[in-house]
Amino acid sequence: MSATTQLSDSDPLNNLISSDIHKSIGLLTRQLHNALNGLGLIAKVQDLAGEIPDAQSRLSYIARLTGEAAEKVLNRVDQAKAQNEHISNETSRIGALIVQDPVSAVAKGHVMNFLNDVNQSTQIIDKHLTEIMMAQDFHDLTGQVIAKVVGLAANIEEQLVQLLIQTAPIEIGPKETKPTEAAPYQPQLAGPVIHSEGNAEVVSSQTEVDDLLASMGF
Amino acid sequence: MANELRFLVVDDFSTMRRIVRSLLKESGYSDIDEAEDGAVALKKLLTSKFDFVVCDINMPNMNGFQLLDEIKKTDSLKHIPVLMVTAEARKEDILLAAKSGAAGYIVKPFAKGILDEKISLILTKLGLK
Repeated sequence: MSATTQLSDSDPLNNLISSDIHKSIGLLTRQLHNALNGLGLIAKVQDLAGEIPDAQSRLSYIARLTGEAAEKVLNRVDQAKAQNEHISNETSRIGALIVQDPVSAVAKGHVMNFLNDVNQSTQIIDKHLTEIMMAQDFHDLTGQVIAKVVGLAANIEEQLVQLLIQTAPIEIGPKETKPTEAAPYQPQLAGPVIHSEGNAEVVSSQTEVDDLLASMGF
Repeated sequence: MANELRFLVVDDFSTMRRIVRSLLKESGYSDIDEAEDGAVALKKLLTSKFDFVVCDINMPNMNGFQLLDEIKKTDSLKHIPVLMVTAEARKEDILLAAKSGAAGYIVKPFAKGILDEKISLILTKLGLK
């Protein structure tokens, strides 16, 4: 940097520029403060900052629920496949016995035992399939939580845009912007409970629901 | 007799509707219709005959509480038992549902046997089983 472009406290011109910059920064700060106050955004910004950890909890809840569902499905598939393999092996074995001596296979009860075995196995497989189906309920629960996080993100975006409009330099900002009340983020229904431990206002199991209703005479 | 009942499953998530429908079928109920929110459900209830409603709470357009209120204040519908199946686990919601006339309340996620157990209990109380 050349000596001529360096700022110097002793240079009256540089002092003037420096003073202008400070004035501009002061003006911007004042505008920001006024805009936040005018819009009632200070409390909103504080509220939104408070919502961010909640959003993190909700996203962790989604990760946990989807993980548990995947684990449950994979375990049940493993067990169902084992049953399926058992039936397959038994079918081959009984088939060989029937080819070898059909009368003996029936007389000794091999065929009947096999039929009972198949019946039991299909019932077990059916239970596994039902559990796999039940595990899909995570879609509903996580969907509700995702909707809330998306709503939160949209609200933060809206507030930030409002803030930008209000704090934009006068010459490029709107001629006259009326301070508007931003829509408050107030979900009407809370959806799935992310942390039920220690929360006396929610139930954490169906047994608690039944007990609560019974205690109130329902 | 109970197996001939006509069910309406109300939930905004199709996955959940399918799960409930499958569970009902496993329990022997085969006449099942679906609605994706309270408004659609009310329209179906007013134009067709149903014997039992399985209803979510948190739904767009018309939520489960609103639907329950509509059912209970409509003479032609108020006899229909409404079983709430929902993720809303606040005690005040559970009590509000009961006071509003819900026949039962199940909190999601629920185990396979719960739905059948609650429906059987309700039908027994009503003398339909």
